[in-house]
Amino acid sequence: MAERDRQLRNPPLSVAGWQLGPGLVIAGIIALISSAGLGALIWQWEGGALARLWESSYLRQVIQFSVVQAALSTLLSLVIAAPVARALVRQKHFRGRNALLRLMELSLVLPSIVAVFGIVAVYGRTGWLNTLLTTSGIDWRWNLYGLQGILLAHIFFNAPLAARVMVQTLERIPASHWKIASQLGMTSGAIWRALEWPALKRLIPGLAALVFTLCFTSFAIVMTLGGGPSTTTIEVAIYQALRYEFDFGQAALLAIIQLIVCGSLWALASRHGRTRDLLPYSGSSETFSRVDTEGWYRIRDGALLGLFFVFLMAPILAMALKGVPGLADHIADFRLWSSLARSLLVAIGAGLVSVSFGLAILAASSGMRQRHHAKMAALLEASGHLTLVVPALVLGTGLFILMRPQLGSVTQGLALVMAINALMALPFVIQVLRGPMSSVSPGALRVADQLGIRGFYRWQFLFWPLIRRPLTLALAYAIALSLGDFSIIALFGNPASPTLPMLLYQQLASYQLDAAAGTALLLVSVLAGIFATLQRIGRRLPDVISEPETLNPISDDDSGDAYARRS
Amino acid sequence: MFKKALLALGFLIAPGIPYAQTTLTVYTYPSFVSEWGPGPAIKTAFEAGCDCQIRFVALDSSVALVHRLRLEGSSTPADIVLGLDANTLSEARATGLLVPHNIDTSAVSLPVDWQDDTFVPYDWGYFAFVYDTKQLASPPKSLEALINAPDDLKIIIEDPRTSTPGLGLMLWMKAIYGDQAPEKWKQLQPKILTITKGWSDAYFSLFMNGEAPMVLSYSTSPAYHMAVDKTERYQAAEFSEGHYLQVEVAARVAHSAHPELAKQFLEFMLKPGFQNEIPLKNVMYPATDIGDALPAVFDHLIQPDKTLFIKPETVSNHRKDWISEWLNAIAN
Repeated sequence: MAERDRQLRNPPLSVAGWQLGPGLVIAGIIALISSAGLGALIWQWEGGALARLWESSYLRQVIQFSVVQAALSTLLSLVIAAPVARALVRQKHFRGRNALLRLMELSLVLPSIVAVFGIVAVYGRTGWLNTLLTTSGIDWRWNLYGLQGILLAHIFFNAPLAARVMVQTLERIPASHWKIASQLGMTSGAIWRALEWPALKRLIPGLAALVFTLCFTSFAIVMTLGGGPSTTTIEVAIYQALRYEFDFGQAALLAIIQLIVCGSLWALASRHGRTRDLLPYSGSSETFSRVDTEGWYRIRDGALLGLFFVFLMAPILAMALKGVPGLADHIADFRLWSSLARSLLVAIGAGLVSVSFGLAILAASSGMRQRHHAKMAALLEASGHLTLVVPALVLGTGLFILMRPQLGSVTQGLALVMAINALMALPFVIQVLRGPMSSVSPGALRVADQLGIRGFYRWQFLFWPLIRRPLTLALAYAIALSLGDFSIIALFGNPASPTLPMLLYQQLASYQLDAAAGTALLLVSVLAGIFATLQRIGRRLPDVISEPETLNPISDDDSGDAYARRS
Repeated sequence: MFKKALLALGFLIAPGIPYAQTTLTVYTYPSFVSEWGPGPAIKTAFEAGCDCQIRFVALDSSVALVHRLRLEGSSTPADIVLGLDANTLSEARATGLLVPHNIDTSAVSLPVDWQDDTFVPYDWGYFAFVYDTKQLASPPKSLEALINAPDDLKIIIEDPRTSTPGLGLMLWMKAIYGDQAPEKWKQLQPKILTITKGWSDAYFSLFMNGEAPMVLSYSTSPAYHMAVDKTERYQAAEFSEGHYLQVEVAARVAHSAHPELAKQFLEFMLKPGFQNEIPLKNVMYPATDIGDALPAVFDHLIQPDKTLFIKPETVSNHRKDWISEWLNAIAN
């Protein structure tokens, strides 16, 4: 008992430094790498770039186009995501609901060459859609190449992400609210105004900023589906300047413009998305009857979800069909499986690192906020998103300069890839975890303070029950993003021991097109498997890590019964 | 058990790290050293004749080679850079980090006269439009015919800013039309379905999906389809104006710790042990006459009457202007 008292007074990790320290260090490292990359470019600046930039009507057009296409993509993605998310929350027993959720998670992490292949096969000039139109005797043809193609691809990637995060948010609306809504017999519109919109409102600025940044920095998609150089993003111009013109000054300048555009958007988002929850969330599996889940509503929701399912599934199906013969031929190929093993090792490592980094940064930022350093908190979270805005090439250059003497063996290369992939996944991890992390009720926090529940126990009892499921989702995103990565592995990997995406590109470069399609199919299957597995794990994780025997400080606080209720 | 598994994983990740002998470090591009590329066989063949090891370091493209060399400067661990082409060699030369090869290059036989004291060519090919015979029975017989073809003939090309074949087509047009090139690009534009970032997107994602009957690639591409896929469905269209030449070269690095070995490697590069691996593994023509060792499918490839080639220095001096010119012609 004495031992127990001592533990309660001084629980593990209860020193305040543990809340702030790791997050601050990680944020510092990210800032250092990014500025080293930019700095290296600026250092090699030969002058004159600024003048040239403003003189070039082409570059002005590029910046303008980047902004317009990203804004449109974001708007459309969110407008499509919101009704899909609402329908998914309404129709808890919709057949294929789980499959649709996994598909929504999958589409974001598809490597662009795989996604483009699928999208072209379905929505291309000679794709399924146009074939269907022809056989139905319709004279109109869908043309994929141009702004519409870019928007379609961006919706394909981002609407599911947005909808997935929205579903997670809507599901955390307290059961008591649904109960009241049910008792009042609230209409669909009323539920939207009173419950759903207020919950989504604080999510949307951050989500919009994320989607905008992803579209703004999109590269291969924009080039391939854009139809020509009149649809070019700044990222392409950076690549061009860095790679083909050796014009480091211009590359740095463009990278800084990109940083300013996206950075100011993030600043705006963090200002508007920062309103503290008035009421805490808690998950609940109890369902209350709603007037808008039956009859006509049910059919409407079913049609919407079915349509969305087909939209996401068709390109993946096209890819899979193409890949079956190749995979069947190479199923016994040792290289395929060793690449997969390597990929999984790197990706799982990167995933774990990324989630730990994300938690550390969020812990530090909430610590800063408690200490009323709001600006510092915002900066911390911004650092987690820096990898989205600073082009991979610039990051790579920065890392190269910082770590050059250590670059050596394959293992070190893979460790480096793991670290960078972890940083690249960080924005998604933060996006998934921020809501749940900040939704511990102020009341519960106060009580915990009074009772001296600190350190590990605070984490165990206050946060774990709320974030366990989002945590597995974040981990799945981080692992999958890293698994599908080609840009970083191309910089630091070793072709003699490739990862799965590297193998795919090697096969393409060597005209092994069927084998490549097979590899792509395996990659997609593994990505899907990761989401399915982690979702299962998330469902089975215990509510609390170990049941407290004497420690149950709050059990009947109506607003903060986070631990009492099992979800 | 767990330890064993870890150990096994370790072997998967890092096959054969320890080097006892002298190591020759060769910077190259990924497809050269992949399982299907010529790298592994060449490594074995060269190591058999020396008490040394080759360490290939693959950077993501030939442009990345120059980029890395510049960043590393005199501290570069590279002994050889392999995989530059006519359009990147001027930048590589300008780094001042490469030295004259000092080897006998009389065996080199290219469609153009090659005189360079630094860069040794190891393979070459022509840029060409590959077409799908199932979709297009009779392809245009010249670039001019393609430019004047009806707009419903669609082609897929790559971007000269991000891709080697893309730059090749830009220079091809320039070599034929000179100052008229922008006008011709404007006429060609309605036929361009889309312009991709790189060859893989164009060839795999679009052409293999049947999006357009013609794609910008190499005249040697059909050789692979014929030799390995056993299909004659994909062929290159021969243009009467001639085809633009692509030459791949290697050079020695000035700060190499093993200059003699590096020289030996460049000499080996022109011997059968290296050259015979090129046709089917790099899908290009070898830079020397290898006689009967040239696979039979290469006899079925197009043999352009005229070779178009702009001197690397000229390309280097004008590339920026030509790319802006191209952008202005086409970005509307």
